[in-house]
Amino acid sequence: MASSDSTALRSGETVVLLGTKRGLFTVRSRDRVNWECAPTTLAGTRVYNAALDQRGGRRRIYAADNGDFFGTFLRYSDDFGQTWQEPERGIQFPEESGLKLENIWTIVPGRPSEPDVVYVGVDPASLWVSEDAGVTWSLNEGLAQHPTRKDWQPGAGGLCLHTIVPDYADPQRMWVGISAVGCVRTDDGGKTWQFKNKNTRAGFQPDIYPEYGQCLHRMIQHPTQTNTLYQQNHCGVYRSDDAGDNWTDIQRDLPSEFGFPIALDPGHPDTVFTIVEDEGRNNFGKQFTVYRTRDGGEQWESLTEGLPGGGNVRLGVLRHGMATDSHDPCGVYVGTNTGQLFASADGGESWHVAADFLPSIYSVNVAVIE
Amino acid sequence: MSAPTTPEPTAPTTPSVLVHLPAELRARTGEQPSIMVASGDVRTIIAALDQAFPGLRFNLCAETGELRPFVNIFVDGRNVRFGSALDTSVAAGSVMHIIHSVAGG
Repeated sequence: MASSDSTALRSGETVVLLGTKRGLFTVRSRDRVNWECAPTTLAGTRVYNAALDQRGGRRRIYAADNGDFFGTFLRYSDDFGQTWQEPERGIQFPEESGLKLENIWTIVPGRPSEPDVVYVGVDPASLWVSEDAGVTWSLNEGLAQHPTRKDWQPGAGGLCLHTIVPDYADPQRMWVGISAVGCVRTDDGGKTWQFKNKNTRAGFQPDIYPEYGQCLHRMIQHPTQTNTLYQQNHCGVYRSDDAGDNWTDIQRDLPSEFGFPIALDPGHPDTVFTIVEDEGRNNFGKQFTVYRTRDGGEQWESLTEGLPGGGNVRLGVLRHGMATDSHDPCGVYVGTNTGQLFASADGGESWHVAADFLPSIYSVNVAVIE
Repeated sequence: MSAPTTPEPTAPTTPSVLVHLPAELRARTGEQPSIMVASGDVRTIIAALDQAFPGLRFNLCAETGELRPFVNIFVDGRNVRFGSALDTSVAAGSVMHIIHSVAGG
């Protein structure tokens, strides 16, 4: 494989960033049929997430560099992964907090109106904010000092804040997802936070409808209906049309309540994709399947053309392992724990292998070069 | 209360401890595999390394100050984790190795 190179990036090109168990890779295509996969120089560590940020005249990649031995670092690159910089004031808890950074789970560029703002979620569950494009970082104290924090319990992946949804319409409002705490919302720019888990199940607890303690796996916002959210949970797939105040189970005829990723078609946002898994955290049944609804969760259909099936197929997809692009028809990308990237250029109708033989894929993030 | 006195200027300490670094940390030291630092205890040596190569302390220690669980520091062949840890004295002429735990089986 050639190393990643930004010099030939062209407007309209599709770039997929793959965070893996051993480093960050780029996968690029000008036609979404022929793909070129290349490693970046961020190699050897667990990259849980990455983002290509094209706001503010930059083309900056942020990456979560979770080391096995020598610590966890947020890094950024302005040359498409050839060289990396560390923040001047990075993501480190105050010594007196008694907290230690375990892993960085998600990196979310802020709203278009705030081009220097970037959000990061980590384990132990906390939200970090940079207002200077990643150079310095601050802990959100409102969430860190939440009165119930001492009672929060980790999921299997740790006590991780893995999902950040800045409301595109209201700069004071944001949702975060924490395992195993659930959905938490602020309406005042992060000063205070309220749980928003009504009607979402925590089937692994004695009280299956607690105020908090749900294992939310991934959450996204409808791009034109500001109060509509979707979430894939440990225990179901849900939709909210009132900003999370109430949730409705939209699992319907999906064969399992359990899954990690969820994504939508930004040009047709009632079209939502998810992947549900069996108890072994692999494809449900013998056919690896992506599920799609085109009516906001009323009905689900199975998408399998080009995806592998058979008695030996055991594919898992993690919470950040699926993403969509902004083309029309929408591209859909799914990275597996066995190192395949499956791509669809027609909204999920058909699939092909865009990259293979990679380390276990933790995250898939897509950008179209501006 | 006695009158304040001007502190005696501290004599510069001659770097006299050889610190060997693992390959994973050499990007931070400009690819230098080993560094000479002044004697002291392990904690002060880490502080000196961090001053020379900002960020190196966070590679070795968590925010709470203790050594990361898979980082081992040997002073003259002895793992400080089984002694006085970061308070271990490192005398002039000593050799300090920073090594991560074995991985793979």
